[in-house]
Amino acid sequence: MIVLRSRSVFPLGVTAVALVFLGLFLLYPVFAVFHVSFLDKAGGFTLDNYVRILGRSFYRQSLWNSLGIGALATLAATAIGVPLAFCLARLPVPGKSAILVLAALPLVLPSFVGAYALVLLFGRAGIVTQALRELGVFPGSIYGTPGLVWVYTLTLYPYVLLPTLAAFKAVDVSIEEAGQNLGASRWRVFWTVILPVVAPSVLSGALLVFMETLENFGVPFVLAEDKPILAVEAYKLFVGEVAANSASAGVLATLLVACTTAALLLQRYYLGRRRFATGARTAPPELRVGAGLRWLATVFAWGVALAALLPFLTVLVIAFLEYRGPVLHPHLSLGNFVDLWHRSSRPLINTVMLATSAALGAALLGVPVGYVLTRFRSRLSHILDVLAMMPFAIAGTVLGIGLVVAYNAGPLALTGTPVILVIAYMVRKLPFNVRASSAILHQLDPSLEEASINLGVSPARTFVTLTVPLMLGGIVGGMVLTWVTVASELSSTVILYSGPWATMTVVMFEALEGSGAGIAAAAAAVLILVTSLPLLLVYRLLRRYELAMT
Amino acid sequence: MTAIAIERVAKRFGAVTAVAGISLDVRDGEFFTLLGPSGCGKTTLLRMVAGFADLDAGAIRFGERRIDRLPPHRRNTGMVFQNYAVFPNLTVAGNVAYGLKARRVERAARAERVARALTLVRLDGLAERWPHQLSGGQLQRVAIARALVIEPEVLLLDEPLSNLDAKLRVEMRGEIRQLQQALGITALYVTHDQEEALAISDRIAVMRAGSLEQIGPPAEIYSRPASAFVAEFMGVTNLLTGTVRGSVGGRLRIGVGGIELSARGSEAAKDGRVSLSLRPETLRLLAPGEAPPAGWARIEAVVGRVELLGATTRVECLAAGKVTLRLALLDLPPESIVPGAKIALTYDPDRVAVFPTA
Repeated sequence: MIVLRSRSVFPLGVTAVALVFLGLFLLYPVFAVFHVSFLDKAGGFTLDNYVRILGRSFYRQSLWNSLGIGALATLAATAIGVPLAFCLARLPVPGKSAILVLAALPLVLPSFVGAYALVLLFGRAGIVTQALRELGVFPGSIYGTPGLVWVYTLTLYPYVLLPTLAAFKAVDVSIEEAGQNLGASRWRVFWTVILPVVAPSVLSGALLVFMETLENFGVPFVLAEDKPILAVEAYKLFVGEVAANSASAGVLATLLVACTTAALLLQRYYLGRRRFATGARTAPPELRVGAGLRWLATVFAWGVALAALLPFLTVLVIAFLEYRGPVLHPHLSLGNFVDLWHRSSRPLINTVMLATSAALGAALLGVPVGYVLTRFRSRLSHILDVLAMMPFAIAGTVLGIGLVVAYNAGPLALTGTPVILVIAYMVRKLPFNVRASSAILHQLDPSLEEASINLGVSPARTFVTLTVPLMLGGIVGGMVLTWVTVASELSSTVILYSGPWATMTVVMFEALEGSGAGIAAAAAAVLILVTSLPLLLVYRLLRRYELAMT
Repeated sequence: MTAIAIERVAKRFGAVTAVAGISLDVRDGEFFTLLGPSGCGKTTLLRMVAGFADLDAGAIRFGERRIDRLPPHRRNTGMVFQNYAVFPNLTVAGNVAYGLKARRVERAARAERVARALTLVRLDGLAERWPHQLSGGQLQRVAIARALVIEPEVLLLDEPLSNLDAKLRVEMRGEIRQLQQALGITALYVTHDQEEALAISDRIAVMRAGSLEQIGPPAEIYSRPASAFVAEFMGVTNLLTGTVRGSVGGRLRIGVGGIELSARGSEAAKDGRVSLSLRPETLRLLAPGEAPPAGWARIEAVVGRVELLGATTRVECLAAGKVTLRLALLDLPPESIVPGAKIALTYDPDRVAVFPTA
C-alpha cells in the first residue's frame, strides 16, 4: 500500500474531529458507566455494588444465561451457516442469487419483530398453539432458552454464511486437485484442506454471532419471560420499576462490556493471525453430484432462507387481520393500522427523521475517517482505528445508559433531546461506515488521489471532488444500510428517547408491554416495510458491500 | 525550466533506511534517471520531490527555491504514474483540463491548451472519450498530456512504461524522450529497467539500498562501472577477481586464476586484490592463425556451452581450466565453435573496468 504524506492538515483535522467525537460520546459515557458502578451512595469508591449484585444468584444467573444461550445460538448458526455456504458455493442449487438476497435480509430486519412473530405463532395464546390445543396436543413452551436460540439462530446465521461463502469461493481449485492428485479422496480433501482453509472465516463470523446475542436487548425482552438476561436486567435496573439504580445497572453493564470486548478481541486476534491467502482468480466450479444430493441441497438452502423470513411474513399477514381485544379473527382489515395511526403519526415521522439524520451523520463522520485510516497511516490514526471499532463491543443498552449518565446535566445536557438519539446511532453505526468506506477505498488506486494533488488540488479538495464521487455508490449503499438498521434500533433507543421522540420501535415495544397486540403487529409490519423496501431498491449497490459488515 | 538540487536527503521507514543521505543535482533541461532494483529507494526519492513522502533530513530545491516544505499540491510538478492514474470519472479532455481548473485558467485558454496538449501526445479526436474506452498506450498518453499541460517546473515519471507490453514500451520511451527534448523540460525518471535507462537518459544515477552507486552518462555507466554492483546491474558481464601483478605503461597486469589480463589503470589496491568487469561483447574471437591487434592480449580457451539467441550467440568457455568467460557473438557462430573446441580470444584492455573488491 502506498501511504500519502501524513503531515498535511486534512488527515489531522479529520482525526481530531473523530477523536473528539468518540471521546465525548463513546469513551466518556462508557467510562461513566464503569465509574458509577464503583460508587457508593456518598460518592466514594466501593466494590460493594459488585459484591451485592454478584451475591444474588438471580444476577449471576443472568450472566450464565446470556453466555450459555449465546454459545448455543452460535453453534446452531454455525451448523446452519457453513453447510449453506457450501451449498451456495459448490452445489447446483437453483436460484442462488435469490437465496443470497433473502439470506442477507435477516441481518437488517428487526430481530425482536422476529421474536414477536414467534410469540404470535407459538406463544401461550399463539395461533399454532391454540390450533394444536384444540387437537389435544400440548406443545412445549417456546419462552426462555428454546425460543431465544431459535430466533438468534435464524436471524444471525448470515454472519457465518456470508464470510464462509466468500472463503469457499476463494479456495483455488488447484489446491483441491493437488490433494486428489496426491491420493486423497474428495471427502478427505474436504476435511483436511478445504475446511481448515475456511475455518478462520467461520470462526470470525461465529464470534460476531456470539457478540450480537450478548448485546441483543429486544429478543430476550420479548421471549425470555422470567429467565434473567444480562442486557435486559441492566435495562430494568436502570429504568427501575421500583427505584432506578444506576450503580447496579452499571455493574451489569460493565459485565456485558467485558464479555463483548473479550469476544471482539478474540475475533480480531484470530483474524489477524489466521488468514490463508488462497487468491483464486475464479471461484471453484460446482461439483457434479447425484440427483439425491442436489435435491437435499436445494431443499436445505431454500428451507433455511425461507424459514428465517417466515416469521416476518407472518407478522405482515397478521397485521392485516382483525383483532378484537387480544383475540385474532381471520378477516382482512386495516383496523390495526388505523389504530396505530390514530394514536399518533409522530413515531413514524420520528423514525424517518432520526434515521435520516443518523445515516447522514454517520456517513459524514465515517467516510472521512475510513479515508484517513486507509490512506494516511500515523501513530494517531492507529488509536483512531481501535477507537472506531470499539462501538462493536459496546451493547446499545450500555451506550444508552452511559449517555444518560454522562449528559444528564452540565453544559452538555443532551438527555431527553433527539440529538442524543442521533449521536447514539452515529456512534453505534460508525464501525460499519468506516469499514464500508475503507473497503471501497482499497479498490481505488491511491495514485488517482496523488495525481490530483500533484496537479495542484489540495488533499481536502481532492477528497471532496474526486474521491467522494468515485466512492459514491458505496457511500449511498452504506447510508441505506445505516438508515435501515437505525430505523429498527431498539436497545439504546428505549433508554434514550423521551416522550415526543418515541420511534416506531418504541411504539412496538410499548404495545408489547401493554395489551395492544393489533397495534404491535401493525407497528411491526410498518418496521418490516420501512427496513426491507429501501434495501431491495438499492440491492445492487449493496451486494459489493455486504461483506464489509463482517 | 528548472534545475533540481537534492541535498543530503534521508528517509527511514521504521528500521529500514529507504534513502541514506543522497545528494545529486539534476541540470536544467536534463533527462535524469534514477535506476536500481526494487527497494533501492528510487521511488521514495521521486516521491519526496513530488511531496508524497516526507524528508527526515536534507533539502530539495528547484533552482534556488527550497520546495521540500511545500505541500505537494503547491510544488508545480507534473507526475506520470506507473498505473497511469487517469481519473475514471472524467473524459480525456476532463483529465487533461483537471490541473488547469485547479489553477483557475479561464475557459477559453483552458480549451486551447488542452487541445494543444492532446495534439502533442497524438490524441487529437479522442478528447471526449472515456478512460475505459482507451488502450494502455492511449491512457499513458493522457497521463503525459495531463502532466505537461500545467507547464510544470519539472516532469516526474515513476516507471511509466512498466504496464505496457514490450513493443509499445520501446515506442513510448522514444516518444517521451522526444517530447522532453522538444519542450526542454527537466525530467526525473524512475525505472528498474537498465536498457530503458540507457536508451532514454542524459544521465543516470544507479542506486542501491538507499545510496548512490554511480552517476554519469549512459555510456560511462555501462562501460566504466564504478562497482561490481553497477557492472552486473547494467547488463551481462564477466565479473572476475584477481591480483595486481604490476603495471606497465598505464596498463595493469592482473592475474585471474591461471590467466593474466591487462586493463587500463596505474594504481593497485593496497593488498593488490581487485575486481574487474569484462563485457561479453568486448571479447572477440580470433580466427585460426590471426594475431590480436597491437597492444591487445590473447586468451586461449575451450568452448563449453553454446546458446543461440537469434541476433546474438552466447558462448561460454573455460580459460586455463578454471576461469569461465562468456562471450557474445553477433550473428551465427562459425561452425568450428562446438563444445570442446579450442579457441583464441582477444579484447581491448581499455574496455576492462577495474574496481576495488567489494
